[in-house]
This record gives sequence, C-alpha cells and structure tokens, in this order.
Amino acid sequence: MKKIQILFFAIGIIVLSGCKKYLNEEVQGSLLGSGALSSQQGLEAALTGTYAGLENTWGTGFIHATAVGATMGGDDITTHKASNKADFRQFDQFDVTSTNQRTQALYSGCYKTIQGANNIIANYRATVGDATIISNIAGEAYFLRGFSYYWLVRLYGKIPLMTNPDFADSLLTIHSSQPADVYSLIESDLNTAATLLPNTKRDPGRPNKGTALAYLADVYLTEGGWPMNDPTKYALAAATAKEVINDSTLYGFHLVPTYTELWANNPATNGTPETVFQLSTFLGVGSTTNANYGASAMPGEEGGWDDFFSELNFYKNFPLGPRKDATFDTLFTLGNGATLPYQQSQTQHPYYKKYYQYNRSSNWNSSTPECLMRFAYVLTIYAEAEARATGTPDALAYQCINAIRQRAGEAPLSGLSGPDFAAAVVQEKAWEFAAERYRWFDLVRLEMVEQANANKDPNDLQPIGTITKADYTFPLPYSETSVNPNL
Amino acid sequence: MQSKAHFTLNPLIAMRNAGLRLPTRKLLSKERRWMGQDFHFIFRKQNWLVMKLTAILLLSACLQVSATGFSQNVTLSEKSVSLQKVFKQIHKQTGYQFFYEDEMLNKAGRINITVKDAPLEKVLAICFKDLPLSYSIVNNAITVTPRKVAIVLQQQLPAINNIHGTVKDQNNNPLTGVSVIVKGTKKGTSTGADGSFNIDANVGDVLEFTMIGYKSKIVTVGQSSNITIEMDLEVTVGNEVVVVGYGTQKKTDLTGAISTISTKEFADQPVTRVDQVLQGRVAGVQVTNASGAPGADVRIRIRGANSVLGNNDPLYVVDGFVGADFSTINPDDIEAIQILKDASSTSIYGSRGANGVVIITTKKGKRGGFKITYDGQVSSSQVIKRYDLLSAYDFATIVNQRSVDLNTAPVYTQAQVDFFKTNPGTNWQDLVFRKSMGQQHNLSVSGGSEKTTYLLSANYLDQDGVINNTGFKKYSIRSNINSNPTDKLSIHLNIEGSRREGHNIGLIAGSGNPVTQAISWAPTTPARDSSGNVTLSDPVGSAVGGNPLALMYDQTSDANTNQANIIGGINYKLPIDGLAIDLQYGMNYANAQGAYYGGSIVTRGNPAASRNSTEQTTVQSTSSLTYNRTFHADHSINAVIVFETQKYIQNYFSSSSSNLFFPSLGYYNLALANSFAVGSGYTESAILSYLGRVNYAYKDKFLLTAAVRRDGASKFAPGNQYSTFPSVGVGYNLSKEDFVQKLNIFSNLKVRASWGITGSQAINPYATLSTYATGTPAAFNSAGVIYGIQLGNPGNLNLKWETTKQSDVGLEMGFLENRITLEADYFVKNTSNLLLNQALPAYVGGGTETKNVGSVQNKGYEFTLGTNLVKGKNFNWSSNFNFSFVKNRVKSLGGIAPRIPAGTGVGAGMSITNEFMIQPGYSLGSYWGLKYLGTWKPKEATEAATYNQKPGDSHYQDINGDGAINTSDFQIIGTGIPTSTLGWNNTFSYKALTLNVFVQGVFGIDKLNYTKAVGEAGAGDARQITFSEIKNRYIPGVNETSNIPAFSSTDVIYTQSSRFIENGSYLRVKNVSLAYNLPLPKKSKINIKVFVSATNLLTFTKYTGLDPESSNIGSSTDTAQGIDYGAYPNSRTYTFGINLSY
Repeated sequence: MKKIQILFFAIGIIVLSGCKKYLNEEVQGSLLGSGALSSQQGLEAALTGTYAGLENTWGTGFIHATAVGATMGGDDITTHKASNKADFRQFDQFDVTSTNQRTQALYSGCYKTIQGANNIIANYRATVGDATIISNIAGEAYFLRGFSYYWLVRLYGKIPLMTNPDFADSLLTIHSSQPADVYSLIESDLNTAATLLPNTKRDPGRPNKGTALAYLADVYLTEGGWPMNDPTKYALAAATAKEVINDSTLYGFHLVPTYTELWANNPATNGTPETVFQLSTFLGVGSTTNANYGASAMPGEEGGWDDFFSELNFYKNFPLGPRKDATFDTLFTLGNGATLPYQQSQTQHPYYKKYYQYNRSSNWNSSTPECLMRFAYVLTIYAEAEARATGTPDALAYQCINAIRQRAGEAPLSGLSGPDFAAAVVQEKAWEFAAERYRWFDLVRLEMVEQANANKDPNDLQPIGTITKADYTFPLPYSETSVNPNL
Repeated sequence: MQSKAHFTLNPLIAMRNAGLRLPTRKLLSKERRWMGQDFHFIFRKQNWLVMKLTAILLLSACLQVSATGFSQNVTLSEKSVSLQKVFKQIHKQTGYQFFYEDEMLNKAGRINITVKDAPLEKVLAICFKDLPLSYSIVNNAITVTPRKVAIVLQQQLPAINNIHGTVKDQNNNPLTGVSVIVKGTKKGTSTGADGSFNIDANVGDVLEFTMIGYKSKIVTVGQSSNITIEMDLEVTVGNEVVVVGYGTQKKTDLTGAISTISTKEFADQPVTRVDQVLQGRVAGVQVTNASGAPGADVRIRIRGANSVLGNNDPLYVVDGFVGADFSTINPDDIEAIQILKDASSTSIYGSRGANGVVIITTKKGKRGGFKITYDGQVSSSQVIKRYDLLSAYDFATIVNQRSVDLNTAPVYTQAQVDFFKTNPGTNWQDLVFRKSMGQQHNLSVSGGSEKTTYLLSANYLDQDGVINNTGFKKYSIRSNINSNPTDKLSIHLNIEGSRREGHNIGLIAGSGNPVTQAISWAPTTPARDSSGNVTLSDPVGSAVGGNPLALMYDQTSDANTNQANIIGGINYKLPIDGLAIDLQYGMNYANAQGAYYGGSIVTRGNPAASRNSTEQTTVQSTSSLTYNRTFHADHSINAVIVFETQKYIQNYFSSSSSNLFFPSLGYYNLALANSFAVGSGYTESAILSYLGRVNYAYKDKFLLTAAVRRDGASKFAPGNQYSTFPSVGVGYNLSKEDFVQKLNIFSNLKVRASWGITGSQAINPYATLSTYATGTPAAFNSAGVIYGIQLGNPGNLNLKWETTKQSDVGLEMGFLENRITLEADYFVKNTSNLLLNQALPAYVGGGTETKNVGSVQNKGYEFTLGTNLVKGKNFNWSSNFNFSFVKNRVKSLGGIAPRIPAGTGVGAGMSITNEFMIQPGYSLGSYWGLKYLGTWKPKEATEAATYNQKPGDSHYQDINGDGAINTSDFQIIGTGIPTSTLGWNNTFSYKALTLNVFVQGVFGIDKLNYTKAVGEAGAGDARQITFSEIKNRYIPGVNETSNIPAFSSTDVIYTQSSRFIENGSYLRVKNVSLAYNLPLPKKSKINIKVFVSATNLLTFTKYTGLDPESSNIGSSTDTAQGIDYGAYPNSRTYTFGINLSY
C-alpha cells in the first residue's frame, strides 16, 4: 500500500511539473521571418527561390510551352485544331478566357518571382557578408522584378503593383495599377540592376549588367508604341541598346557565326555566347527540367505533342536560306523509318526545328537552356529605335540589321527611309526570332495584330469574332478576380 | 469491523454497476453439497467475476462468525508450504492448538504466506483464503473442517417433495451453474455439470432459474417431480456494458447516441480491416472504399462532414489510446466496437470529438483453460466490370471519320483500317486487369490463471490487387496481458506491432495511371514492338501518358510501415468506497519507408529513384480518478476526472537521385547517379487536457450525464490555446414505469436528449506562423540545381478551434421481449469558426491563408431496426436494418467571399478551374461547372450560330445571357457528398448452417466522371475517343437526337459540365456468406467452421463507370470526393475460409 502511494505521489509531481512548457511550439527545421535573409547564404537561397517562379516545369514560368502559347496571337505560331490544345487555341483565335491555364502559369510564376525579389530588395541592406556578392544578389533581384513586371504589363495591361513582400489582408482589396506606373517601376528596377550587377554573369543562367541594359532598351522600345505611345522613348531605347553593343565584349555577347549552331541545343554547352539572358534548366530534377524543347514542339508522327508549330503563310513567306532550314522541320520520320512531308502529316504544318532537342531526341524533357534574349535582338532594338528616334537610320543601324541578314543568307539593306527601315527591321525580327515569343509583342506595340491576322491560310485556325484592342491584352486570371473583384 | 463493509458492500456495487446479476443470495443460500463444487462449475463457465466475489463474500462471512479478537501476533514467511507446517509454526508462536484430519489438509495443497507481526485472525484468513476449508476457535483450540454454507444459514425447512430435473439451452445442451431457488424461501441450489439439479419444494411453490446471459425462467411445481427446463439466451441489450471513453456504462443508462457492433455481426465474413466491419452496420456511419486497391485509403464519416480544412475522420480510440491508427488493427482481435455519435458522448474527447469517436476494445484472455483459434481464408478477386471500348477496327474507322469532320488528314490509310478487320489490335484492359489472389491467416492463443490472463494473436494478410503488379501485405502480432496481483490492484499491458507493405498502390491515381491510360491508348497501337520492347509512345491515342505496361512494370512504389502500439496501466482501488485511481501510459511508434523507382521507359531515359523515411511518435499519459457508488439502492453515481497529455512528433528525411548509372539497382543504391536531392523536416504538436464526467441514475429510470473537457493545444498561439467543451445528456427509461409496464407493449422504452460542444483540430502544426517553403530548386547551368527558399503561406496568429455544437434526441423501443428493437435519432450539428484555407491571389505570392470563418450544418436522422423475425427450433432469421440521412449545408462563409473555390489537382489538364465550390446554401463538395443542355438541335441552328456553334455541338446554359459561354456561366451542378446510407444485415441459420446476406447502399451523391470525359470526349491525355458509346453520337442528317456531340471543329467540350456528372447512388449486395459448423462429437472440444463468401456480388446503380464507390481523392478531404479519374475500382471477391477453435 505504501509503495503504491509513493508511486502515485511521484507520478503526480512529474506530471504537474511538466505542464507549463508542454504547449510551447517547438519549431525545428523551419525558417521564420526576415531573419532568414540576414546572412549572405540566406539571401542567396532566397534568390534561388526567386528564380524558381520563372522555371517550374508544368507549374509556372517559361520552361514549358506556356509562354510560346501566350504569344500565339502572332502570325508565326499556331497549334493543333483538334486534340487537347483548347488553351493554346484560345490565344491563336483571340478568345482568351480568364480560366486559361497557360496565362495562369505565366502570371503566377512572374508574381512568385516578384514576391521573392521584393523580399530580397526589402532586406538585403541588412545582410551580413561579402558586399560585392550581396550587391550582385540585389542586382539580380531588381532585374528579375523588372523582367517579371515587363512580361505582366505586356500580357495583361493593368495589373496589381506589388513592391512589398509582407502579406496583409488589405492587399486583397487593392486596385490594379495603370501600365504607366508599372513601366516606371520596370525602368527604375532595370536601371538599379544595371548599377548592381557585375559585367560577367555569375552563372550561365543569370543576368549581368549588359542583360539589364538590354532589357531596359527593349522596355523603352515597347513604351514607344501601344499602349504608352511615348515616342521620346525610342531615343532612350537606341542609346541604351548602343551602350550594350559598345560594351558587348565586356559582357561577353557576340553573334555566333551560323544560325544553325544557335539551335544545336546541346545542354553541355550551357547556351551560346549570343545569349543575353537564359533560364538554365536541369533534367535531373523534375521541376527544373525543360519541357519546351522536344516533344512539345514535335509532330505526333515523331512521338511529339503538336503543341505549337508554324502558321502556313508564315512558312511560305519566310525567305529561303540557311536560317529557314535551321528554323523549320518539314520532313517527319515515322516509327518505321519512312519519311513523310509535312503536307501529308496529320496537322499539315511545318514544325519548329529550333525547339527540337539535341540529336532530335523525341523526349519531352531536357537540360536545354531556355534562351529568352539573344544579342541579335539587341542589335534589332538599336536598328529600329534609332530609325524611329531620328527618322534616319545611321550606319550602326544598318550594320546591326545587316549582320543578322548576312548570317541568314540575305542581301544587306541600304538606302531606306526611316519608316521603311523600321518596318524592314520589324519584318526581319519576325523571321530571325520566329517562335521566340517576340512577334506577338511587336504586333501589339505597333498595332499590327489585326493586319497580321487578316489573311490567314484557310487551313489555319481563324480568329473568333473581330479582333479589337481588347484582344491586345488578356483578362486577369480567374484566380485573381474571383478573390479580389476590385482588380 | 472495518473490513466487513469493505469486503461485502464494495463488490456488490461493482457488480451492480457492471450490470451483472446479483447471485449472492442464491449462492449464500442453503446448499447440500460442498460449496467447492459450485466454485468449480462457475469457474468452468468462466464467470470468474461471480466466482471471485462469491469467494470474498464467503470468506468475510467466515470471519464474521469466527472472529473473537486475538491479541497474539504471528510472523511467517513461507513459500509452497503445507498447512501442517504452518499450523506447527502458529502453534509455536501462539500456543493455539489445531485439530484437523490429515487427508483433508493434504487435499488442500500448499500455500504461500508472508506475514510480519500480524494478528492471528489475519494470518488464519490468509491461510484459508481460497481453500475449501473453514475453522472455528474455541478457547485456544482451532478446529479445521470442510467449509459448509450451513455456517450462514442454519435453519432448514422440512422437505416436502424432492424435485429433480435438468436445465438445457436452446440447442439442447446442458447448462451448468444455473441457480435454482424456491421463490419466497431461502432454499436454493445450482445445476451440475450435466445440467441436473435436486431441490425440495412443495406443490405450488415457484422455482426460479437464473443464470447470467440467460433469461430467467419461472416454473410452478406441479405433481411431477421431474422437470426439464429450457433457458433462452438473453437477447436484451439491457445488461450490456458499453465502453464510453474513460469508463464504462450500462447500455440502459446511456443518455447519448452510441452504437455497438459486436463480433457476431461479421463473424463469418471475409473481413480484413476495421472499416469493413463498420460499413453499413451502424446508422449514421458512412464508409466509402475510395480506392479499391488492397490496403488503400478508406473514408469513414460519422454524421456527415463538419470541416472543410480539417480531417473529418472520426477519432479512433483503441484500448484507451486516443488517436490510434485503425488500419493496423486486426479485426480478429476485436472484442467490441462502440461508435459515439452525439455530443454528450463525444465531448469527452473535446477538441478531437467533432467527427465522432470509434472506440475499439481488443480481446483479453479468459480465466482458466487455454484456447487456440485459427482462421484462414483464401480469396480470388476481379473487377466488377470493364469499360466498353471500341474494337481496333471501329476505332480506326471513327478516328478517320473524326479527322474528316475536323478538316484534318485521315490518320489511317484504308489498308490500315482493313487490317484491323481481322486483327483485334490491343486490348489494353486485358493487360491492366487481372484475377488476383489473396490469403489471410489468424492464429490466437488465450487463457489465464485466476490472477493473470493473456491473449496472443498473430495475423498475416497477403492480397494482390486486380491491377497488375499491385499488392498489399500485412503482418501483425498482439499480446494483451491483464493481472490482478491483489484485490485492489490490477495492471494491464497491451502490445501490438505490425508491418504493412504496399506495393504500387499509390501509383494508381490521376492521368498517369494504367487505368486512365488503358482507355487513352489506341487499340491500334501495339503494346510491344516486333522485338518485344514496350511501345514508348502512342502516335494516335494518349498524348503524354506512358504505356500502361510501363506504368505497371517499369516503376516500383513501395510503402512499408512498421508500427508498434504499447499501452500499459494500473488501476488501484482506494480505501474509500467506489473510488479508484487509474493510470495509463501509451506510446505509438510508426516508421514509414517509401521507396520509388522509375525505369528508363516511364522516365523517358532518365531513370530515377527516391526514398523517404518518416518517423511518427505519439506519447500519451492518462491519469484518472473514478468513483462508482450507489446510495440507498436508488441513486447510482459514476464519476470520473482525468488529466491527459499527448505529444506527437514527426521527423522525416528524403533523398532522390536521377540519371541512375545502374537502373537495375532500382532504389537500392541512390549514390550511383548523376544528381541528388535531399530533404528533411520536423513537426511537433501537443495537447493538454482536463476532463470530468458525472453519470447519475435514479432507479435506472431517470438518467443524467454531464461532462466537461478543457483542451489546450500547441498548434494555436498563446491566448487561443485553450478551449472548453461541455455537454449534458438526459434520459428517461419509461419502460421502468408501472404505467408503461401495464401496457404490456414495450419491453424497452427510453427517450433521451443531449447537447454538447466538440472541436476539431483542423490545422497543421505551425499554421499560425509564417514559414518559408524550403527545397525550391533552380538551375543556373545544365549540370545541376541549387535549392532555395520561397515565402510560404502567411501565418495567422488569430486562429482558434473550430467548434461543433450538437443536439440530439433519441428514442429506443423494444417489443416482444426485445425480439424487435427500434432506435431512432434526430440530430443537428452546427460547426462554427469554420477553419478555411482561403486561396490567396497569385499577386501576393499565391498559396492560402488559414482563417476561422463561416459555419456548416449537418442535420439528419438515423434509424436502426433489429428483428428476430423467425425463431424456430432449427431455423432462425434475424435481420438488422439501418438507415440514415444527413443534410449537409454551408451556412456562412463569414462574409469573406460569396463563395470559396476548392480544387483537387486530380483533374490537372482536364479541368479549367477548381471543380468544387463552397457556397452558402449548398453542401460541401458541390460541383462547379457548366450546365449541359445536350446538343444543339437542327431547329436551334440560329441560336447556336450566335455562339459560333452549329447543330450537333455542345449546348451549355448561358445563365447570364451574354451570348458567350465562359466561367461566368459556371454554377453548382451537383453534390459530391452522399445524403443517405443504408445497411441491411440478415442472418439465416438452419441447424449448423448460417447464411449471411449483407446489403449496403449510398444515395444522393453525384460523381464527376472524368474517366468518361477521357474515353467519350477525348479529354486530358486522350487525343482520340475510345468508348463504344461514341457510335451513338450526333451525326448530322443521320442521328440528330443524340446528346453526345458531333465531331465538329466548332464544338467546345468542357469537362467541368453536367455532361460528366452522374448519379453515383448505389445499392450493393456487399457480402453473402454461408458458414457450416462441422458436426463433431460434443466431447471433442474442437469447433470447426467453414465458410464461403462473395463480396460485392451485385451492384445496382445508374453510374456508368467501373465502380460508384471508388474515387480519386483520399479520405482526408470531403469537399472534393466523388471524382472518378481512373480510380482504382473495388473488386468482386470470392473467399473460402476455415475457422478452428479448441
């Protein structure tokens, strides 16, 4: 009896003494608050997470056919008429709904990156570590924020403008900002990035100072047209592009000798020296594998998914030469080894060989870097902007455009008026950057969408209804407006 | 004398409260034979409690008579010593002289005794305890004699007439140990081993026969001196003791809605898991086998779903361990299952009681004897039905027709089409489904001595799935030990351990699953190429998905879980009447090992493997003080106060490799690879609780239960951690009233009502904190990735408990001595402070914010009808029917939004937005989509044209009339939560044959048939249509009445439309089994039973998919159940079993 009483007494003491701290939450292995960014390593990890918004296979960003799909309103690309490509068809037919999963993927990815960049920008000044690396990290964050907003403002027009990483319930009722406010932030971010970034990229998949300036030049060029329509920006575009061209050796940018080697797509080379900005990808980790190259771009006959391919008139009008050969695939190889001309294929369209994988592998995934801007593009910015700003293309402008034409096997341009030269540059861009997600934005800023879609081949998807300025941007995703109807 | 009250009163109350008959008077009454024989008989019937109490009572009676106050003390310490030796010692120490016969003492055997300076009377009491001997003291002489009951009752009426007879049970077997008394006298006896008895009585005297578990019988003595009595088993549940959580209660004294499932109800059925026991057997409990995969997830709901965010699974309490994993329990180990439904029952579990509580008590060994049982089963399963798919020839023809209709080139040349006239192509379903085998073995041994009982059991289950290369194995072992070292102290230790091995079970979900791919791949595509290699891609059918063969054989997903549950405790009766202290400690440990390997084919040349390990530990301590007493015979009180703590810790790590150098090593050598990823994490949560409950009954007529629990949880921020959960229940046992008894209609009539508050632990640990999402990879070159961090979901410090208020009224009726029983309940459950994950827009970073908003109501009624329809000498038919109806309604979303979307991720690539909408006025799990009005008909051509459509295209309702079909035309188009369920269990027995027919049904549920969208509309991965139904499509000029749209380039197909919503109600003959008890000689003691059984034998449903019961969503969510996207179907299973006991 005594023993038992002692036992109960002891247990009672133990139980009661343990109570006080029993409900304290032990958080282990979890990161909380802005303190996570107080070290250089923490800041770097936050930057890595910031990139992830732009490169999440099937989820968000650019390393699957989403961004190509979103620019299908251009006359360079189209998709399968039947099959399971309804989202893609909406872009090609100017009938984009708020539930289109492709715009959702771009939208969410850009904002996830903006959130990460906001966090770095808000905290990097307090980070302890190597000052140069910290400023490089901050530069990349500013660049990524500017880059993301640039995509968003062109896709949607009016958008919510977020510059603070902290969440508050009040953010759920804010209104969208005007494009002018967004562009102003983009200019500021890219300028800041240019001051913080090094001349040499830290890795192939990161920006350098030249990258920031090249994007700034492109932003100015876009502001010259619809919807900002500010012609004074052309001079800024030309000046900024010229800065990049002048310092191209410093930034490591130059044209590669042939158009074909641009699209070898060998992951081992980590891109080409012509790359101004790319998102690197890695096959070994599911969410960073590149799904834009390979099956997505290939015909069903070769095990492809028929996600996107060339519009018929675009192919027909495309000037002959090594560039055309490197751009398109017109002869498909069947499983039994026989070949089939595209005219006899199921979709009866040529495909973009550019987006085939190294050695024509029909895999859907690869480590091919996703190139988002080439040095050739910077040359066209200067050429067009200079012509539009001054009314007369200068020697450098001709030099820029002719370097591209020459490589493509085309005769050099000469003796054109300002407007004619600019128009020629825009057309040259269509060929040079076919399916590289530029044509749509050129058509929009120059208000050429209606014209470019007026005479489509009858065997291509036709616009649904009349194209209006409302079709120049897409409705905000339903996930946004359903939560915040004020947008 | 202090000890008198102690010995006599306390056990009586204990017995009374335990609901046992009180045989004391009969056993104390005059008996001619030596009482020891009675002990023996009772012992054999395993009524150990009665025996023990009787012994105590007799002993105290002896002491009463014999005690005269000694002053001399004795010190002894002997083990296994003869009485003679003990007496010599006592004689030495005290001078007292013993008188006895040697033979008598030799028979008594040896005893253990350790006393120090103890009074002689105590020493003698110890010596004679449990011995068939008595003693008397005269002066300093102690006389030892065989114990005689005559000590108590000296007077004896003169024998008038000697009555002799036999007592038998319904099956004509003799009944031993039946008390026989002459009413109004103190004369009594009990039956012997052959059921015979002898008693003296007058003609006209009334004999009363009583025995626990049997209905008492009254016979008036006539001229005959020979009587044969047949006693019936007690069918009334009145004396049933029910486990109510932190205690037990008499069924008749319950004020709450508590259902009991006894092992009899599933005795001869091929049950491998607890959910199969629950399904259809209790009103108000819905069990859905969401996946037909062996060992897979099952959804169990008690009175509907309260929580959107939280888990709506009931709380499982196994032998007092709160929050046990029911899937580890071997059904063969179950003694009883209690289901607590209303708040007065569940609020004792406070913050975890909102979803109802399932209390499982495992078997214990029985005193005396040794019992071995073996159950073995073998089974064969196959799918209930298959999809009706196009033949290769029909497929090729229709694909070409579709190409023409959509202005694309034909896929097949005429020669290819003709080829399939004679070549059947590939039957993908044949490659995916199989007839699978299963086996289960149970072996248990149990028994015990007077003080200690034990049970050991082992279970082995091996079940293959009906989809190739899927299967499940389970090994478990249990040991339950109970011991009473002293009258006051009892200890118990239950140890259970199991290993579960799931093979490829988890692969069967979503679009990348062999079932979905089997209906997506073209029948014209060969499964293998000419060299026997698996075809890598399908040029015509499935766009992305792998070859079903590769999905089944080129990847391995193994989930192995080792688990142990240990519960030990002591119960000690304090020296205050009725007061006892009970301490119990429990620990549950689970170690889950997951391993995956994807070969070169499924990964397209990038073989990958991963492993993960999760360790979960739960530690529980429960300290309680119980008080059981009856005052003045009429007032009985049963009270308990408890202090309980529980801590849960989870630790995991994972590792994955890709680009394996040696794919043949599978997931066993992760180092030999090109790239790696690792992860690890930790979660911890704790609950601290105080609770108390009082049950009061006045004459078993007026009943009251009041309980309160206060829970603190670490998941919430300080200030919001604690909440109180009170409840009260009242009952009125009308059948105890004279005016009801006079009606002679009811054998039982009770009304009860209850109200209470319970809670739900709907949030995960750390939900109040803003944490970073870690392990987010990004690549900066082509050689590898770096892992980074992203801001996670914003935390909300204001989070608090989700609370459910429940009211219940119940009526219990019994007729014809409870041959017919009816129980009805009506309940209303209101859940407020509903925790919801509000989806955040992408511009703030996406994710969700957890908030307490809104309310949900579940209200409904339940009926349980139990009947013993036919009761004959050879033939019996008993039938139990239950029906329940629950109406689930979202009442409010707290104004944060008019509606909140809920997605699944199941239909990724299928659905354009969330498939579900949470909207006030509708049930949780309401489908969101377009209303499909059929195809546009020729006379509607003009109207169709305004939508850029033509006759034959899909016609959706344009609810805002804006001339366009888009998300603004989405509406609620169905409900994914069932409204009613029924179960009907019939047992027919004819002599040694028993036939069980068990029917189960679920009604009022709609299913979103994504599989049909794949097969009939070519959605998702499917680029072509494979369902034969497409032959009946709209064909302009040919078939213009069909509502299956024509092949048309203007047609727009929305998978999220009522076109793919189907009535998912079904009625299923869940089980039919026939058991035969082998006729063996009665003395052989061996019992052999064999049975054959068919599960899912017949299904009546309008649902066109394979199985209305299965769906893609696991048990954790209710808002999104009911989607069938290649879900693993339940199978039809035939089982043969044998059951041996000795």
